Amino acid sequence: MSNSSGVIAASSEKKTVEDDYLTYVEGVGNVPRDIYKHVESDPKGDLPRYSFHIVIQHLLVLLTFLALVATGVPLLFAKLYWAHTVINLLGGADTARIVHRMAAFTMMFACAYHIATIFFGTLRQMISGRFDYKRTMIPRIKDLSDIIHDIRYFLGFAPYRPKMEKFMYKQKLHYYAIIWGNCVLIIAGLALLYPDIMARIFPETLGKLLPQVISKGVSFPAFFQEFARLMHADEAVMALIVVAFWHWSNVHFVPGRFPLQWAFLTGKITREHQIEEHFLEYINNLREIPEEREYMKKLIKEKGLETLPIVSVSELPRIY
Amino acid sequence: MRTSNGYIKAFLCVSGMFVFLFAGFPAKAADKENCLMCHKYRFLGRIDENGKRINYSVDEHIYGKSVHRIVPCRECHINITKLPHDPVTEEVNCANICHVKPPFSDENFSHEKIIEVYDESAHAIKPGDSPELKKAKPYCKFCHLNPLYTRVDEKRIAFEETLRRCLNCHQEKGVTQAYMHMTHRLRHKTSRSPQEIVRLCSKCHQDTALMKKLGVSEKGQEAVETYFRSIHGKSVILGSQTAADCISCHASSKLHDIYKKDDKKATIHKDNILQTCKECHERTNRWLVQIAVHPEPHDEGHPVIHFTSVFFTFALYGTVFGLMGLLLLETRSRKKDGIKFLLRHGTSWRGKSKRRVKK
Repeated sequence: MSNSSGVIAASSEKKTVEDDYLTYVEGVGNVPRDIYKHVESDPKGDLPRYSFHIVIQHLLVLLTFLALVATGVPLLFAKLYWAHTVINLLGGADTARIVHRMAAFTMMFACAYHIATIFFGTLRQMISGRFDYKRTMIPRIKDLSDIIHDIRYFLGFAPYRPKMEKFMYKQKLHYYAIIWGNCVLIIAGLALLYPDIMARIFPETLGKLLPQVISKGVSFPAFFQEFARLMHADEAVMALIVVAFWHWSNVHFVPGRFPLQWAFLTGKITREHQIEEHFLEYINNLREIPEEREYMKKLIKEKGLETLPIVSVSELPRIY
Repeated sequence: MRTSNGYIKAFLCVSGMFVFLFAGFPAKAADKENCLMCHKYRFLGRIDENGKRINYSVDEHIYGKSVHRIVPCRECHINITKLPHDPVTEEVNCANICHVKPPFSDENFSHEKIIEVYDESAHAIKPGDSPELKKAKPYCKFCHLNPLYTRVDEKRIAFEETLRRCLNCHQEKGVTQAYMHMTHRLRHKTSRSPQEIVRLCSKCHQDTALMKKLGVSEKGQEAVETYFRSIHGKSVILGSQTAADCISCHASSKLHDIYKKDDKKATIHKDNILQTCKECHERTNRWLVQIAVHPEPHDEGHPVIHFTSVFFTFALYGTVFGLMGLLLLETRSRKKDGIKFLLRHGTSWRGKSKRRVKK
């Protein structure tokens, strides 16, 4: 134990480019950081990423999200000329209301399913001793340094992208945004669906917690209902815009992923993607999957990458 | 010769059918005294002293389908006693008793009772009202336009099926009329759709300047605007038949008893509102009735709500532009490093890297 920590201390002291560039994996050799530019990939995915349960949950959320948007947005913009046409396509205002609620409850089911999957999956991994918090969504300080490192790479100040785990900073950010958004939308949505119950619960619980925030003369139920109305609408618009403009383009419309990244259907990630954005997870894959180990070993040998010249930082501009 | 006979017969049959299809059936209005002898002409009218053009023609087909179609002309126009009649100077009084007997009833029909309800409401002309207010207040004919019978298309009434059962014993014409008479009042609290009710009330109430001039309270001045901000209003705009319209909350089943909020008889008075909400929201409680049915805009409401609204606006733009900026930066950099857009078998890194690492 003391021996290994001594090795880490020694290596961190002498952190050179070649340490960063080459990662030694037992049975494979030194894996270069930019090997992803040389690997063969199947667009439908090479390496495991999502379990069957996660794929189903994502599909449920995708479909219900679209249904909720289609029936909710016309209500928010009821006065605009297209709202009436859109809602009529969905069966009229009274039908759309029921569709919205059914979709909402399905999405809530998907959330509960997800929590159960995470809980029991973690439990199983803990029992078998395979649990590693680095391979989960738990936020770490490293994520912050990864963002800075990645932006430095994008701007041309760093030679390679950071070595990231199974879930990188973007995914963690989005994941926690979804948790927050779901909590807000579910609570505020229930307040709109069951105004009678929520009008009683809110003032009796939250009202006691924030007495000084709420000024005199405003009735608690009116305030909380208005608050729920605002939160439900604004959070939903935010979710829609982030998903439509950022999530979809980020996942499907960026170079190397267009026209479709299959991971959400197959649960598998392509090799080049895994190495580029989830390098440390790929190292885990190498340790766990013998075929992958063989493939990488052969590739490194073929390309002659095992005998790369050692360069110093001052020489980098010349090479790149 | 035989064939041409056949043609003639066929021609006669077809033209007969056309006549049958397009000739139509004259609607029979209650014109016992033959007022339509003159009033049937479409351009019967005059230009009055102020240059206003008035048309006196009555379309028999339209009148014959209206709610008053069995009421003879002179039951309402009681001042006309001779023919040709003198210029009509007095308006029709809807409280007149007409000689129509409702089924299973001894007394002749009159709108008197509902007018009594109306006379006590906020819309009735009071002795203390200013001339402006008197002029602006709606009387019967302002809202009621002698509407045509409308069939209720809602499934819950099962119009055809129920009527078919009535016909087992009753005469078709009579029972159909009586049945329509009732069913067009079954759809909702009112026989008009929520959209029509809101449009009708908005005719005056959305005119903020007029409402201000007439001394309506500040909340009342923007009642239409704030209603459309509520879930009731939004649903009604989108065509909902179940969401609450103006009448749902502001009047009881008497429909005309609309009072100001502070009046004890008002359905929206704080002592009565629980009962009013209960008509739709079955599990009403004292907390629910405090929720604003006419919500104020977010930027005028509570400071916390105002702050949240502003926060969300910033968060929205911040998130979208921040994330999109990162995305564009990433895409530009990766493109430069040699990645191609299309995902293919093999590799996406088909280009040559043009990246330079700055020191």
